[in-house]
Amino acid sequence: MLLNNVCLVLVFLFVTGFNSPTQPERENAPIKWMISQNSSLSVNGSTNVNKFSCVIPAYDRIDTLTVGSKKDHGVTLSGNIGLNISSFDCHNSGMTKQLRKTLNEKQFPLLHIRFLSLNKLPVLTAQPEGITGMVIIEIAGVSKHFEIKYQIDRDNQKTIHLVGSRVIDFSDFNLVPPRKLGGMIKTKDELSVEFHMNMKAI
Amino acid sequence: MKKILITGLIVGCILFILSYGGLYLGVRYFPGLFVDYDNPLFNSDGSRDILFYLHAFIISFALSWFWARFKTMFKGTLIMRGLEFGVVYAIIALLPVMWISFSSLDITVIMVASWFLYGLAQAIIAGLVFAKINP
Repeated sequence: MLLNNVCLVLVFLFVTGFNSPTQPERENAPIKWMISQNSSLSVNGSTNVNKFSCVIPAYDRIDTLTVGSKKDHGVTLSGNIGLNISSFDCHNSGMTKQLRKTLNEKQFPLLHIRFLSLNKLPVLTAQPEGITGMVIIEIAGVSKHFEIKYQIDRDNQKTIHLVGSRVIDFSDFNLVPPRKLGGMIKTKDELSVEFHMNMKAI
Repeated sequence: MKKILITGLIVGCILFILSYGGLYLGVRYFPGLFVDYDNPLFNSDGSRDILFYLHAFIISFALSWFWARFKTMFKGTLIMRGLEFGVVYAIIALLPVMWISFSSLDITVIMVASWFLYGLAQAIIAGLVFAKINP
């Protein structure tokens, strides 16, 4: 009788208790996304005489982002992309040189975006899904935490498109927006940054 | 000497108002002409703003001395004297400077042409005032 009870308890534990930790472990297994080279970043700003749009049209490195679950709600998104300031193209040689100078390219040739988290695990369908996440943006040696709005989807070729956008200020990074002709021409402090990352799950 | 300084100061004040007022209106109503100034070729940190705004007085004192030295050579009505004075300054001083600037700097024809016309207008206005107050 005692032996039967022990066997029943063991069977119960096997079916319930022993099985339960293994299932989340599978769900929690980190997912890696490899960033492809046709990813891009654009920066839009304005002065009191015009608007400018500067792009880094292609990402020239191979990096990965790792998605994993957190103990509390949300998911971690770890990875770092480094973008060459010299790759910025503002479609006007003077403005391109000015942006590179303003971002202090000589001393800090790279702009970094360090991914920290997402508010939820994306479903990854063809329909773009709106999510948010935290990143650290480092420009000219100054790092700042920002919440980013993302649109994420996966197309038929299983390419994941992650589009992140955020308005930042030059002054967030202790940068002074350029002013010309005694301040008659002023660049606004506000910049709209948008990055489009194409990735494959690996 | 005192006359040169006083007329220079008066003309400097007039040019300051007209030049920077005109520039402000130009930026406001013809912004497309100023797009190319967003270039590291032009000082962008504000460290030379005081020098920029002193230009009206630099040119007024220089032209005041030039007028006092050569005013007897400008003959005719007040308007003719002022116009001729401006044109002489533009040909002797502005044209060669604009020429070397355009040939050596990454600037546009419109930029150089606008500088030439700006300087010519300043010199004509200065010439008219000199002809009136220091004939």
